[in-house]
Amino acid sequence: MVKAISNDKPNPMLKILFPLFLIIILGLLLAGIKQENFVARQGWGLLSAEIMVIALAFFYWGFEQGRASSREIALIAVLAAVAAVGRVPFAALPNVQPTTFVVIVSGFVFGPRAGFMVGSTAALVSNFFLGQGPWTPWQMFAWGLAGASAGVIKMICPGIGTRGMSVFNVAWGYLFGWIMNLWFWTSFIQPLNWQSFLASYAASFWFDTFHAAGNAAFYLLFGVGFTKILKRFRRKLIIRTIEDQAGSLPD
Amino acid sequence: MLDKLFYKEKGLFLQSLHPLAALTYLGTLLVLALAFTNPLYLLGILLVVALAIRAADGLEAWESYLKIALFMMVLVMIINPLVVHAGKTVIWQGPHIPVFGRLTVSLEAICYGAAMSVRLLDIISVFCLYNLIVHPDKALNLFSRFAGKSVLVISLATRMFPAMVREMENIRSVQQMRGVDFRKGSAKEKVGKYSSLVNILLLSSLEDSLEIAESMQARAFGSGPRTCYSRNLWRPRDTLFLSGSACALGAGIWGLLHGFGSYTFYPQLDYLISGPGTVALLLIVLFSLSIPVLIGWGCGRWHYLKSKI
Repeated sequence: MVKAISNDKPNPMLKILFPLFLIIILGLLLAGIKQENFVARQGWGLLSAEIMVIALAFFYWGFEQGRASSREIALIAVLAAVAAVGRVPFAALPNVQPTTFVVIVSGFVFGPRAGFMVGSTAALVSNFFLGQGPWTPWQMFAWGLAGASAGVIKMICPGIGTRGMSVFNVAWGYLFGWIMNLWFWTSFIQPLNWQSFLASYAASFWFDTFHAAGNAAFYLLFGVGFTKILKRFRRKLIIRTIEDQAGSLPD
Repeated sequence: MLDKLFYKEKGLFLQSLHPLAALTYLGTLLVLALAFTNPLYLLGILLVVALAIRAADGLEAWESYLKIALFMMVLVMIINPLVVHAGKTVIWQGPHIPVFGRLTVSLEAICYGAAMSVRLLDIISVFCLYNLIVHPDKALNLFSRFAGKSVLVISLATRMFPAMVREMENIRSVQQMRGVDFRKGSAKEKVGKYSSLVNILLLSSLEDSLEIAESMQARAFGSGPRTCYSRNLWRPRDTLFLSGSACALGAGIWGLLHGFGSYTFYPQLDYLISGPGTVALLLIVLFSLSIPVLIGWGCGRWHYLKSKI
């Protein structure tokens, strides 16, 4: 008898964890609307950073609780390094880099959790070499979310074709910039109204467009080849153990 | 080129801190820079960070950080005056623009933009200081107690990053030896050549990852509960700096709750110094934050102090 050991067994801790973190974040947001209390008086610059760190902690905790095998860990690390290295040769072109595309393809093939880890690790590790800055947690979050959402989209519509994925890549070019803008807008602009929001977002429009166009180009050029290679390695990840005659399975 | 910004061990005093003390110090600087709005306080923090960067022998690295900051500073200084209509002292009135209404530039908005650029400089300089004084491995070691797997992923990827850049060069030269000229051909042909380069890199590094996994398995990874070993020493200086950071943070929060350290820009500029309390608190915060710089300076001059702390 052949039994497959899958690594994505739901952990009971995660069921409590997700609502808990959601409540904390929503609570902070709601408390921030009222002007008088302690939460709001520290200003949105600090508050947005706190919410970001809590969200990151939630994702990392989820990864810690899950059962990741040694193969999965090594694979995630390698993909993150590939995505991070992608930032280097294109440093001269503003925002055109294959990192987002590599993260999205990894999330698409290996699922949301691996996608998040590849994205956030790529951001952190590349910044060890290109310079850590206040943008690091936001990049970790944005790229992590890109990977996780690619995993989710595979679950929702598995038959999404090359065309659909190119649109998805373009969308993440803009979404990434918009998440990064939140940091800039909340920390350095006041009052926070829709005029200042619009002005900050208009300032980044061309950078986001470059990013989106780069993503689409990379996906159209390398997407199919990458997905094929990664799918082959996903098959290698699954370990099957054959039960012995007595029928007992060593753990 | 890649090692330019990576941490370099120079045997400096500030690099000998326990990562917990160093991260608390940097975190305090960051929180205070985001919490204070009084320009004097923001400038004071910038001064402390600049002194610390000088003590960490990082003025050159700071320069490249300042270049990145410059672009964002210009943006902050332009957007704030143009879109904010809350200021009372109007300097210039422009034409009517459909979405934003009438363009008005007020003195208050310019001052706010200037103060926020100082805040931006503060934050970016704190991260520059982080790059200079905390070794990535030391910081990761701190987290490995409760987030072992994530830290393993991060440190594996950090190791692979430079190796992969070299690998890329190797693949490129092998391809060139086999007669592939990366400069020749139409755009389409060039893309084909580069795409094979990238595919080879991906394939070979993925193969490597399986080998890494096998070697981890051979070293009993995941066979039982993790143990953790730390080589970081906790010295008297760490206690001193930790209490300095706690003092600065406590004083800062107390001050913010009692109206010191914050500053009203709109509708009209407030007084910079609203009483002796403002100056006293500023001095307390700056002194507690500059303890590492002062002790570091003292240790360079006085070896008895260095041996004791």
